[in-house]
Amino acid sequence: MKKMPLVIIPLVLFALLVVFLFQGLFSDPRALDSQVVGKPLPHFELPDLMQPQTIYTPEVFKGDVTIVNVWGVWCVTCAVELPYLTQLSQQGVKFVGLYFDQDLDPDFGTKTLDRVQTEVTQMLGRYGNPYSFNIFDVYRDTSLDLGVTGAPEHFVIDKQGIVRMHHIGDINERVWASKVGPLYDQLQAQTFSSLKASQAGGEGE
Amino acid sequence: MNKQPILILLVMLLSSWAVPAVEDNFAFDDPAKRAAYLRLTEELRCPMCQNQNIADSDAMIAHDMRRKVYTLLQQGKSEQQVIDYMKARYGDFVHYRPPVTLATFWLWALPILFAAAALIYVVVRRKPAMPEDMAAKLARAEKLLEQDK
Repeated sequence: MKKMPLVIIPLVLFALLVVFLFQGLFSDPRALDSQVVGKPLPHFELPDLMQPQTIYTPEVFKGDVTIVNVWGVWCVTCAVELPYLTQLSQQGVKFVGLYFDQDLDPDFGTKTLDRVQTEVTQMLGRYGNPYSFNIFDVYRDTSLDLGVTGAPEHFVIDKQGIVRMHHIGDINERVWASKVGPLYDQLQAQTFSSLKASQAGGEGE
Repeated sequence: MNKQPILILLVMLLSSWAVPAVEDNFAFDDPAKRAAYLRLTEELRCPMCQNQNIADSDAMIAHDMRRKVYTLLQQGKSEQQVIDYMKARYGDFVHYRPPVTLATFWLWALPILFAAAALIYVVVRRKPAMPEDMAAKLARAEKLLEQDK
């Protein structure tokens, strides 16, 4: 009778360890806790990639659910997801590109804007263009503010310009069906008044 | 077979690890700032190539973070301010020294708890093994033998 618990303790500890390590098999080490989710976009004033005289601020996202796609022509996975994103955009999903260039070192600029634009036009011509427009993150400061670690990454922005999801990696059919799509539909269904109500409730907590 | 070429190759491979992966040219007029820069880039962790600090990583994000650390230091920000700046964007993950929170508390507490539990176990275990009075034991044995007869 007295020996029972002593035998069980290591077994229980072992079982707990197994559960803990087994979970680790499925955790994605690149999935960090995003610091921007639930907050409005950090302030920026950035030019349009194609018409640099147009300047965008976070105001541009108000009124629509938008998926901001961080990408670049040098990124292979971005090229892979472009056809699917284009298909989604044809179904009415609004994508905005946050473009940044790898070779364009802000301190030792080696690549002209012309060259970047040509490369982008070529790539979008080849794989499809899902973007309403592209914001050019010249100094990659906004990417840093958003906690971007690479490309592709996606931010789901609600109608009030608040970040609702930070997805690291590409969007494909599986990711859309299980992760991004449901949130997008839910945000899309929210009217402006219900949004305000839910916000007021959130603040009351 | 002569093993010397393999040995030389091995030594060359091993020594190449020690070479820093990246070389930046950031000019500091203040040696204290330079020291702070070197300390910070050692302490800050690259979010892309995890388990490398940003001094060591050649990922673009590490490049950008080094440039940011340099800019912030040149603006006169303190080391803590730079760390907070990065944490505000990449979370606690970005710093190699985790803060004590309810979740990380166990990193320190578990070994201590384990040692304490083991100690208690050993102490409790020892008590029944205390040597009993031999005479009493013999008397009891005698009694049992008596009964068996």
